[in-house]
Amino acid sequence: MGTLDRIRGMRHRLRLLLVAGSVIAIALVPRSLQAQRGFAGGPPSPRAGAPIDLTGYWVSLVTEDWRFRVATPAKGDYTSVPLNPAGRKVADAWDPVKDEAAGEACRGYGVGGVMRLPGRLRIGWQDDRTIKIETDAGTQTRLLAFGQSGSNASDWQGASIASWDRSDSVMGAGGPLAFFGPAAARGGSLKVVTTKMKAGYLRKNGVPYSGDAVITEYFDRFDIGNGDALLVVATEVVDPTYLAQPFWTSSHFKKQNDAAGWKPTTCSAR
Amino acid sequence: MQRAMTNWIRGSAIAFVLLMSARPIGQSTSTAQDRPAPAVDLSGYWTSVLHEDAMERGAGPEIADFGGFPINEAARLFGLSYDPSRLTLRHHQCDGYVEPYQIRAIGNARAWEERDSHTHRLIAIHWFNQTFEGKRTIWMDGRPHPPAYAPHTWMGFSTGRFVGNALRVETSHLKQGWLRRNGLPESDQATTIEFFVRHGDRLTHTVVINDPVYLTEPLVKTTDFYRQPIDHENWLFPCDDGEQILDRAPDDVPNYLFGQNTFVKEYQAKHKLSAAAHLGGAVTMYPEITTGVSATSADTALLRPAPGVRATSQAVDPEPHDGQIHVWPLRGNLHMLTGDEGNIVVQVGDEGPVVIDSGRGRLSPQIVQAIRRLSDKPIQFIVNTSFHPDRTGGNAALQSSGSDPSVRGSFFSLQFRDAGVGATILAHQNVQNRLTALKVDPRGIPSDTYLEERRRTFHNDDSIELFWLKNAVTDGDSLVHFRRADVLVTGNVFTTTQYPFIDVANGGTIDGEIRALNDILSRTVYAHEGEGGTVVVPAHGYVSDEHEVVEYRDMVVIVRDRVRALMRSGATLEQIKAARPTADYDTRYGATSAPWTTDQFVEAVYRTLNTR
Repeated sequence: MGTLDRIRGMRHRLRLLLVAGSVIAIALVPRSLQAQRGFAGGPPSPRAGAPIDLTGYWVSLVTEDWRFRVATPAKGDYTSVPLNPAGRKVADAWDPVKDEAAGEACRGYGVGGVMRLPGRLRIGWQDDRTIKIETDAGTQTRLLAFGQSGSNASDWQGASIASWDRSDSVMGAGGPLAFFGPAAARGGSLKVVTTKMKAGYLRKNGVPYSGDAVITEYFDRFDIGNGDALLVVATEVVDPTYLAQPFWTSSHFKKQNDAAGWKPTTCSAR
Repeated sequence: MQRAMTNWIRGSAIAFVLLMSARPIGQSTSTAQDRPAPAVDLSGYWTSVLHEDAMERGAGPEIADFGGFPINEAARLFGLSYDPSRLTLRHHQCDGYVEPYQIRAIGNARAWEERDSHTHRLIAIHWFNQTFEGKRTIWMDGRPHPPAYAPHTWMGFSTGRFVGNALRVETSHLKQGWLRRNGLPESDQATTIEFFVRHGDRLTHTVVINDPVYLTEPLVKTTDFYRQPIDHENWLFPCDDGEQILDRAPDDVPNYLFGQNTFVKEYQAKHKLSAAAHLGGAVTMYPEITTGVSATSADTALLRPAPGVRATSQAVDPEPHDGQIHVWPLRGNLHMLTGDEGNIVVQVGDEGPVVIDSGRGRLSPQIVQAIRRLSDKPIQFIVNTSFHPDRTGGNAALQSSGSDPSVRGSFFSLQFRDAGVGATILAHQNVQNRLTALKVDPRGIPSDTYLEERRRTFHNDDSIELFWLKNAVTDGDSLVHFRRADVLVTGNVFTTTQYPFIDVANGGTIDGEIRALNDILSRTVYAHEGEGGTVVVPAHGYVSDEHEVVEYRDMVVIVRDRVRALMRSGATLEQIKAARPTADYDTRYGATSAPWTTDQFVEAVYRTLNTR
């Protein structure tokens, strides 16, 4: 091996060292950047780190499925809901008198249906880790807990796990390989997964979902100018018991400046 | 050699440090809030989910099902007057969907990015919907929206930016279309704001529709799509019009007179809903409607125009009023000039310019300057589509600035010392008669006229035809057709700004106006799904195609039908005006003050209508 070859070999080893060093240093960068962002003392609470503000009063704008939502449709009218045969059988047997007699007039106000009902929402933070949604339709309360469900009871609203969905990549912005990954998304959505609920109705005329359903929701806020804002709740109901495929809806609400129109009502089975 | 190696190591180390420091330095010079939000990838194949409004988006909505739409009286009456058999008319058969409605149509969609091949900067996002081949471009490069006199399309003109985790899109320049295809209209004045948000393989689209003509509050719609891993393949939606009903009269536009749509009762009976609920209005989308939704008694008041209302146009004035002449390229060697109370069309080429109409005459020097920027030759011909002052006001000034070399040195020179001095003005003979009677500047009176159906010439490599539109807005209206460019210049027979100015005192008639509009439609060819193709330049308003003309024709025919029905029932002119036969069009074209009011239009229809 001549001098030239030794120098070439040295250069090659140096290049390898430099590349390896770069990778290690890059891997350390996100932590330093996190520190710059003020996360050095640990991640903020869900409330402090909320990418969007969902709090306040919101009124539903019923511009879709209007006939099915502003009035209780006739029995057996489950247009556009992908029921399986078992689901159709239950829907065809709907009897609001029986529901009332069984003390289950709130079947149409459970987590699978309440966001579709005409009404208003009052959204706030119960604590730093729990969002509370109250509906005036049926006077229902939903607790969306970050990290751990606030409720294990099998009630109409079930157990809801919340998280902020920032639409990052699979690796996640700010992760160990983020230097060459996407920038962190600003804004974001509230993601809520609900299980362990009592069986209820997707529509008040007895279109069913079972207690085994998994309901995933994304809450997005859009500012549309003149101080107005919209809340869009995209919902997926997965229920192998009564649905032939996931049932998708997206419901929208307009921000209110105050409690105008807030009028809690009792559940009505009819 | 060792020194060289040391230098290489030093250089690499410096480059490494710079590389490592790049990101924090970038952060220190601009905050996160200053930078645009990162792009959200919408590319791919998407299928719309029909779990909401499935009936409407599939087979079609029921007639008179307007609940949940924040519509005004005009929209409600338009929808009640609408007869679905209107779609059998040749010029409606291939109507596309207007964008906010189209994205909710059944079928598949495909999205892709267009990026600069060198910088990878995002130029546009393209979205293609299968139904009616709705292809839209969302410009992401910061370009401005076009001026108000630019053409309108089904998809409109869209610009976008990323906000938070959403793509936010603003759209203008939409054609008139549907809020719902049971007759609920969306006007050409509507604008939209959209948000596209992606949650994994789910895309949720939210649109906010603002329509000053037909909505009292914004209409919000949300639509879901799921991502498909493979190409759906069936993308095309071919459509050619044809004869669907033979021997139909050309002035037959299917419609229901106010209060006579029999399907309203059918809908109410079927669903047991009150008219106040299912006939729409902002109140019907709020929770309070649930207390008044059930049918109690037939409410017929909503089926007819409310008495005493005097609605006026809510449309944007498309004409600039800044004292400048604005130029819009039409096609080939044709340009539209606007700014002097109406549109002027200029054809340039190897020969002298041909100018269609001359404006009001207040900005003639600017018009001459603008034409000189388009051609270094003097104006050779001026064509007047009527004698009205907004068409002829600049005649004298433009004529004087030009010359007609085709007659200089000809036998005309033997008879007229000034032959060829100044441009030659062409028009129907009745224009010359009217202007002579008005004793206008003689330089501005047409010297080259025609008497019967057609005048033709070949100039600047194009065939130019003038067609006499008998007794439309006057007795001397001409339609000008540039055959090669396929551009029609309509004069005041068609505008996008007001009811037709039927000048009864100077020979205008309602039947002549309808014939004239049908004459225009007999010469248009659309390019795709009922839009594009033949360019139609109105006397006032934005650059159009046959869709704007057919909607205008429909309006004129429908108002004619209502006035005729009222006349046959024995109503007086005042009773007819009070019945508001234009109620569903007043928020688009209505006026209560000069130069042309709704009442004047109704009176012109009444005075010239053949009621046999």
